[in-house]
Amino acid sequence: MKLGDMLRTAFMNLWRRKLRAFLTVLGMVIGTSSIVVMVSLGVGIRQSTIESYASMGSLTNITVSSWRWVPSADGSSGTSTEKKLDKKSVETFKTIPGVIAVMPQIQTYGMIKSGKWVSDCNIMGIDQEVAAQFGIDLSEGRYPAYKRGGSTYEIVMSQDVLNWFYDPNTGRQATDNDGNSRVTLDSRFQLTFDSRNIYQSGMGISEGEEPLGKMYRLEAVGLVSPNNNEFSWYCLMDLEALKKLAKENPSMNLDTSVYNQVLVKCADTDAVSSVKAAIDEMGFGTSSLQDAVEQAEQQMQQIQYLLGAIGGVSLLVAAIGIMNTMMMSIYERTREIGIIKVLGCRMGNIAGLFLCEAAYIGLFGGALGLGVSYGLSQVINMLVGGSGFRSVIPLYLAAGALGFSVLVAMISGLYPALRAMRLSPLTAIRNE
Amino acid sequence: MEQKPIIDVRNVKKVYHVGSVDVHALRGIDLTIAPGELCCIIGRSGSGKSTLLNMLAGLEPVTSGEVVIANKHLERMTQSELILFRQRHVGFIFQSFNLMPYYTALENVAFPLSFRGVPRKVRLRRAKEALKTVGLESHMNHKPSQMSGGQQQRVGIARALVTDPEIIFADEPTGNLDSNTSDDVMRSICDTVRSKNKTLIMVTHDPHMAEFADKVINILDGKIIDIHYNEQPQSI
Ligand SMILES: Nc1ncnc2c1ncn2[C@@H]1O[C@H](COP(=O)(O)OP(=O)(O)OP(=O)(O)O)[C@@H](O)[C@H]1O
Ligand SMILES: [Mg+2]
Repeated sequence: MKLGDMLRTAFMNLWRRKLRAFLTVLGMVIGTSSIVVMVSLGVGIRQSTIESYASMGSLTNITVSSWRWVPSADGSSGTSTEKKLDKKSVETFKTIPGVIAVMPQIQTYGMIKSGKWVSDCNIMGIDQEVAAQFGIDLSEGRYPAYKRGGSTYEIVMSQDVLNWFYDPNTGRQATDNDGNSRVTLDSRFQLTFDSRNIYQSGMGISEGEEPLGKMYRLEAVGLVSPNNNEFSWYCLMDLEALKKLAKENPSMNLDTSVYNQVLVKCADTDAVSSVKAAIDEMGFGTSSLQDAVEQAEQQMQQIQYLLGAIGGVSLLVAAIGIMNTMMMSIYERTREIGIIKVLGCRMGNIAGLFLCEAAYIGLFGGALGLGVSYGLSQVINMLVGGSGFRSVIPLYLAAGALGFSVLVAMISGLYPALRAMRLSPLTAIRNE
Repeated sequence: MEQKPIIDVRNVKKVYHVGSVDVHALRGIDLTIAPGELCCIIGRSGSGKSTLLNMLAGLEPVTSGEVVIANKHLERMTQSELILFRQRHVGFIFQSFNLMPYYTALENVAFPLSFRGVPRKVRLRRAKEALKTVGLESHMNHKPSQMSGGQQQRVGIARALVTDPEIIFADEPTGNLDSNTSDDVMRSICDTVRSKNKTLIMVTHDPHMAEFADKVINILDGKIIDIHYNEQPQSI
């Protein structure tokens, strides 16, 4: 029997019993849409979780530090091991497949003076070439550069540091009546790493004390984006510039031959775990937001299974409905099956005809169910939109649901189809 | 007219087990039928006519003995081989017509061809021809419920012939018809079978119907008690 004939005949057999076919399809619609909506909620929750992590920083960044925590065999305790993060290790990181950029960082603590106002700040040394790739966003201006030999250093301010300017003599904040800082990017700034320059100004240096640290002129060239991410806390300077300052100020106690930490940027989130493993292997400590995301995803998976199972129950009911419909129609059509067997319809074709009918029910039920799901999904998003709880139907879910409902329908139709196949042709000839 | 027989039945027995009772439906049948013969099996009710016919058509397995049709041993075939055998060699006419109620006459006749993978266009063309040979070209688009019993049975005849089988089986093809119509239908069957040079095996319990056949096989209690030839069959 030709496939086209088989499909047509099977369709006509269903069409002849429209109402019953429709009711069975309806069961399948409910089954499919309940699974799809449930899973879409799971997908939606997962997406919003990932998005909320992504807003904390880039998911493709790995932070490498020289300290590595090695848990003991039973996991209850452990030891930390150190491995130096230097220029050489930065170069090796660049060679790991999946890495698209590497940025070493040094951090230090300094004081910025602007007239009578003073603010403390954390300063991070960055590489302006790759800073943008690491999600170091500026809300104003440009990245700091290093003018070799110049007496002025470029800095990118953070909003917090601007807000924190105060007068150390009176303790008054440098804010005006509207709460805006009187210190702006256009103000003149000086940087020092020696607190005596700020708090003991005017007093002489006692015998045997270190000489006073230098004051450096600063030019504010930008403002770090205040969006809640891992860099908003820092003022930024060029890495090499900061190294030079560290050398001139031993009180900073910063070893410029190594880095506090190195940021590694991966091509995509899939590459993160392998790059991370490779760096771990070298003996460094690594952390990434992806860890947290993965952990959250594991928990999310359980929710998804639960949601899917709830939907699965109604699909199961629909599947039993299909089986019931098919069995009924076989009892009704016993004679007809006998006749077509006598007329030379092959066993496989008979089973095929019934499987086709089941597949049609699955296909129509699945397709209509998908339509219903999209509708429901929009309604849900309209009702609870913005609360982080939402329904998302990705293409793979839609395609998977359609395939799955056809599969489920065919599995339900399998037993009836085999029954039909085994029916004796003699039933057709015996006269009631 | 010593020809190689198309049907050769050797010592066939059929026993039905009903509960603890054995029903001996056939008790040793030996029979040969030559190609082109119109053959009628008659006998009392319950004598085993239908059982024998079904066995020849490969619809029922034998308990013992051999059934050789077109040089093939039916008793050794599996279910699917039997279906293939029926596709190639067998046409079947039913007592209660057994047309598909939702198909037109034309579609009913074309139906068996679809199981043989014949394309739709060819199917309909051949079905039209078959309907013409039984004189129903004017009723091609009628559903069975819109036709008389005799017309329905003629659609049944066309359906049995459309696949061009060598042997046509018919179990009481006029059993559901009144006697006038029966004669017409019988003539229709015999004419088409003769004109196409097919072999016909037909069961009836009406001795009058047997007069149409070349060869009449009389069965009683699962045994052949008499075979005779009609010198002048009514159907010529
Ligand atoms: N499926 C079956 N199970 C048990 N016994 C059967 C079965 N089919 C037929 N028989 C028995 O076999 C015997 C022959 O039956 P068969 O149907 O061949 O008779 P028949 O000659 O065709 O009769 P009729 O003219 O009434 O159709 C009968 O005694 C019947 O009871
Ligand atoms: Mg009978």
